[in-house]
Amino acid sequence: MPVSRRSFLGALRPAAPALAPAFVAARGREALIAMGHANPEPPAPSAILLDSNENPLGPGPVAMEVLSRTLTDAGRYPTNSRTTAADLRGAIARRVSVAPGNVALGAGSWEILRTAVRLYTSSARHLVTAAPSYEGPERMAAQLGVGVQRVPVDRDGRLDLARMAEAARWAGLVFVCNPNNPTGTVHSAAAIAEFVARVARESPDTAVLIDEAYHDYVTDPGYATAVPLALLRPNVIVSRTLSKAYGLAGMRVGYAIAQPRTIESFNRWAMKYNTNTLAVAAAIASLDDAAHIEAERERNAHARAFTSGVFGHLGCRVMDSQTNFVFVETGCPAAEFKEACAKRGVLVGREFPPLEKAHARVSVGTIEEMQQASLVFGEVIGAHRSGAAEASRVSGGQP
Amino acid sequence: MSYTRRAFVKAAGLGGAGVLAARRQAWAALTGTVPPPRPLLLHNNENPLGPGPAVLDAVRAALGTGGRAGRYCFDEVAVLQRAIADRFAVTPENVVIGCGSTQILRNAVQVFTSPARPLVAGQMTYEECPSYAEMIGTPVRAIPLTPTLQLDLEATAASAKGAGMVFLNNPNNPTATVLSGNAVDAFIERVLAADPACVVLIDEAYHDYVTDPSHRSQAARAVKDPRVIVARTFSKAHGMAGMRVGYGLAHPDTAKRLAWEGSMPLNIAGLLAATASIKDQARIDREQARNTEARRFTIEWFARAGFRSTDSQANFLFVDIKRPAKEFRDACKEQGVLVARDFPPLEKSHVRISIGTLAEMRSATEVFGKVLGVRAKVA
Repeated sequence: MPVSRRSFLGALRPAAPALAPAFVAARGREALIAMGHANPEPPAPSAILLDSNENPLGPGPVAMEVLSRTLTDAGRYPTNSRTTAADLRGAIARRVSVAPGNVALGAGSWEILRTAVRLYTSSARHLVTAAPSYEGPERMAAQLGVGVQRVPVDRDGRLDLARMAEAARWAGLVFVCNPNNPTGTVHSAAAIAEFVARVARESPDTAVLIDEAYHDYVTDPGYATAVPLALLRPNVIVSRTLSKAYGLAGMRVGYAIAQPRTIESFNRWAMKYNTNTLAVAAAIASLDDAAHIEAERERNAHARAFTSGVFGHLGCRVMDSQTNFVFVETGCPAAEFKEACAKRGVLVGREFPPLEKAHARVSVGTIEEMQQASLVFGEVIGAHRSGAAEASRVSGGQP
Repeated sequence: MSYTRRAFVKAAGLGGAGVLAARRQAWAALTGTVPPPRPLLLHNNENPLGPGPAVLDAVRAALGTGGRAGRYCFDEVAVLQRAIADRFAVTPENVVIGCGSTQILRNAVQVFTSPARPLVAGQMTYEECPSYAEMIGTPVRAIPLTPTLQLDLEATAASAKGAGMVFLNNPNNPTATVLSGNAVDAFIERVLAADPACVVLIDEAYHDYVTDPSHRSQAARAVKDPRVIVARTFSKAHGMAGMRVGYGLAHPDTAKRLAWEGSMPLNIAGLLAATASIKDQARIDREQARNTEARRFTIEWFARAGFRSTDSQANFLFVDIKRPAKEFRDACKEQGVLVARDFPPLEKSHVRISIGTLAEMRSATEVFGKVLGVRAKVA
């Protein structure tokens, strides 16, 4: 479907109350480039970073003030600092409404995911994950020589829980990313509870790791955390991170919620001093600032709706995102889309096989960033379509 | 500090970013939860001065209002790799960055040992490698120290046959002693000759505190020899224990394998600080001089009191206090001084004490005197 200038600008209009004046002024020129005929301008000195699902605003002023103050304690291990890693476990416990003994810390949820693969899989007990889903666990499995069974997501990008439950028999661990990265979709609390019950019934020795990295961005009212399930069964674990809504990706804080015995296993494997002193203090300040996270959820939901709307107007199917990124059927191979956008100063997500042929993952930045990026998306998709149309016309006469 | 309603209203009425801090201060005053002054921390071999103002200013400036704290560190790892490579006049491919040297040590054990290829290490040495080996099912050949509390190079090299890796901590934690460059050279030769597949990991965490002129880093050898690895940390002389950055120096082929987990656990503040710190050798020289003075003071104090320390080449002492470490530790803690945990098999007679500032060591030795009952003798 060709993108006309009018339809493209129309796409920007409905959800654009927050358009910055500077952007409006610039829009005509950029929109012309968006038609795909003019030579692209050199990439902006500072690219728009929509490739790693980060919070574009960082941790916010309260956490930054605490972080900055804690620099005087940078020479102290996080067990000796004024606020300690134990205090952070307490702050997480308060926030999640569990006991500190239910909390294990990680250098990001990266470490939690890897430890889970260590604890529950072996060469005899494989890992079950979705395809595509976050690759951390399967990468670890590959490094340890553990078999991996990948269950394709359904047409809407949702984890196929029925087939994952079947695959779970005799497995060591099932990785359930909810919401799922990169598809952005979520399963309801009831669906997850049913899944966990089924695995417990049919394969009681199989552990279930529910990764809620994007928990704080979910707006679907059917969703709820699986923390109560983790408290109920010894081999159900919920992982979380402060890299997303909390804006602390650069500081490396993640955690696991599980029964105390399970937590002890995670702690036994944990890298010593895995959460650094500054991160500990900043994380505590962030966790105690609930209003900040609510505002961030709202900000993201607004920019996300705008982004989904733009792609919708471009004629691209967008999966139902409950995260800070959208998974879009652009029609272009992911590598080509990524490269073309990068040339125009917008970085988007990498390839996610088996959906690397026609889909792209685009992180949600600020509304201003998304408005600018939308022009690039329109331009790249438009160019791809006219190229594709040209190619089919040229090859039209041949069988 | 008394708390008035007016102060609270004033704090609560503030606008902007300061309001929360002010409110929290007011709250702290109200609830009496202001943290008490902390004890003297002489139990974890930290640098009492931290990374220093220049490094901290660099971090503050780079983080600004915080956007970068929200970004994963991809470029910053490469920048630090380059800075370390420049410092040693090697290439970035020789450098592996870790979350403290802990990650380097763990990954080395992960990659070079297995249930069939044991780890060889001193019986009293830094425990990270042996304890990780146990977790992954690697047997550990623990070599007892010599009677003079040195790592036993003869016995260690003799056990290298069939091993996956030999770990050598130089200077050694907790004994604080250092082995000469020549002794380590000869040791490496013997290990490499003993088994064609065994690698040697030299942990030089305390390198910057060594004053013994016979000491020599194995960094130059490591970058050339695929079977020798040097581990370093920013947690000691660089004063960045809380920021979690260490590194390994190795041949490019070995470095690639050593990067088993990658750099995901690295944090932005630590990477920025390390990049600034590695370029400032003058500060490290000053830190060495500062530590040497405080170390000498403490060693002499113990000597006068009749307690022998090993020849410390680090920022801690290993002292024969002629009584169980626990007894001494608990008594010192009562008086606000923390000293290190037990180090079996010498936990009945020896204690490890980190070196703080000279002023801290003056206060600490007063406490030690009371606890050891030698105040009059020493004074």
